[in-house]
Amino acid sequence: MKQNIHEYLAEFDDIPGTRVYTTARARKGYWVNQFAMSLMKDENRKRWLADEKAYLDEWPNMTQEQKDALLARDYDKLLDLGGNIYFLAKVFSTDGKSYLQAVSTMTGMSVEEYRNMMLSGGRSPEGLRSKKKGY
Amino acid sequence: MARITAGITSSHVPAIGAAVDLGNTQDDYWKPAFAGFDWTKEWIAKPENKPDVVILVYNDHASAFDMNLIPTFAIGCADEFQPADEGWGPRPVPVVKNHADLAWHIAQSCILDEFDMTIINKMDVDHGLTVPLSLMFGQPDAWPCKIIPLAVNVVTYPPPSGNRCYNLGKAIRDAVESFPEDLKVQVWGTGGMSHQLQGTRAGLINAEWDKKFLDDLTADPERLRKMPHIEYLREAGSEGIELVMWLIMRGALGKDVRELHRHYHVAASNTALGHIVLEPKE
Ligand SMILES: [Fe+2]
Repeated sequence: MKQNIHEYLAEFDDIPGTRVYTTARARKGYWVNQFAMSLMKDENRKRWLADEKAYLDEWPNMTQEQKDALLARDYDKLLDLGGNIYFLAKVFSTDGKSYLQAVSTMTGMSVEEYRNMMLSGGRSPEGLRSKKKGY
Repeated sequence: MARITAGITSSHVPAIGAAVDLGNTQDDYWKPAFAGFDWTKEWIAKPENKPDVVILVYNDHASAFDMNLIPTFAIGCADEFQPADEGWGPRPVPVVKNHADLAWHIAQSCILDEFDMTIINKMDVDHGLTVPLSLMFGQPDAWPCKIIPLAVNVVTYPPPSGNRCYNLGKAIRDAVESFPEDLKVQVWGTGGMSHQLQGTRAGLINAEWDKKFLDDLTADPERLRKMPHIEYLREAGSEGIELVMWLIMRGALGKDVRELHRHYHVAASNTALGHIVLEPKE
């Protein structure tokens, strides 16, 4: 069954606290994500950790806002700026951080609180499915 | 002739791979997650069940494919694939050996069947592929069977529809059944179940929805085929969309299946861990 692409995309904006990685986001975040990919090589990880600002200078197509968010490890901001979590994983893995540690920083909870929430069944979808319908 | 003997699904959480690699599978946190795979490990080691080849459906998590290339369906056709370095060095797991003759056969057969597969030779395989192998086979010196990697884009939208995935499974079954070598082939679908790795909704788990998904994977795949992406996103979190890949496995098994084993555990890191073993009925 063919879906209307405009309706298909519009529905994504109705989900609370969620940025679906659409092509619009992918285009915006192209260089952030390609930068993150460069950290799959050990020699690049070493250069990045040794001097993060100098390493970022090698990525002239990234905006200053994107660079600042990377330096601050502000993952929530990076998602707004077109970053994708699987790409950004190379940044937090280079810092020796797990998905759980990095993801928890976006929730306003401490790592410990977030980990405990997951151990007691996770976050309920109740009220978080739709902004408009509030269910 | 080659034939499809079973289908397996499993989540492929990176932290599970780390627990295996660091020897933490028996600590308090991980023990219940791994316990649900004991049955499968024993079952799959029996000669009558052991596959010659696994067609392993997974998604690449920005490891082999960056923003330059986003194939919807890519089939690995080289002789072998190395574990990827995802930022913390490659996992210490065996090289993945392909059954390249069968992989090329499937690629050709599916293309002729109007599935426009991308053929890939040089590719490192990430946790999406190696974690399920660790869960089913433990830590051997070499994987006990050949593995055909089948990578599906579920990262950049739109991913393929559930129906498209199911139909690809059917085409894969036809391809396997027209391969002259006598082979036991399993299809594995990986990823899921409910999880969200971003924003204020991160950590979302929907056990009720997940369990219904597991029920219907066996009993009512027709419902799952019709499920639009938005339902996965709303109900199972933004990364729950990986579950469309399970429908490739289901499509490959045929209409009626027997459920042999099931495991569901919350939480493995950010994720609801789901696992099922199915067998075609006829
Ligand atoms: Fe995944």
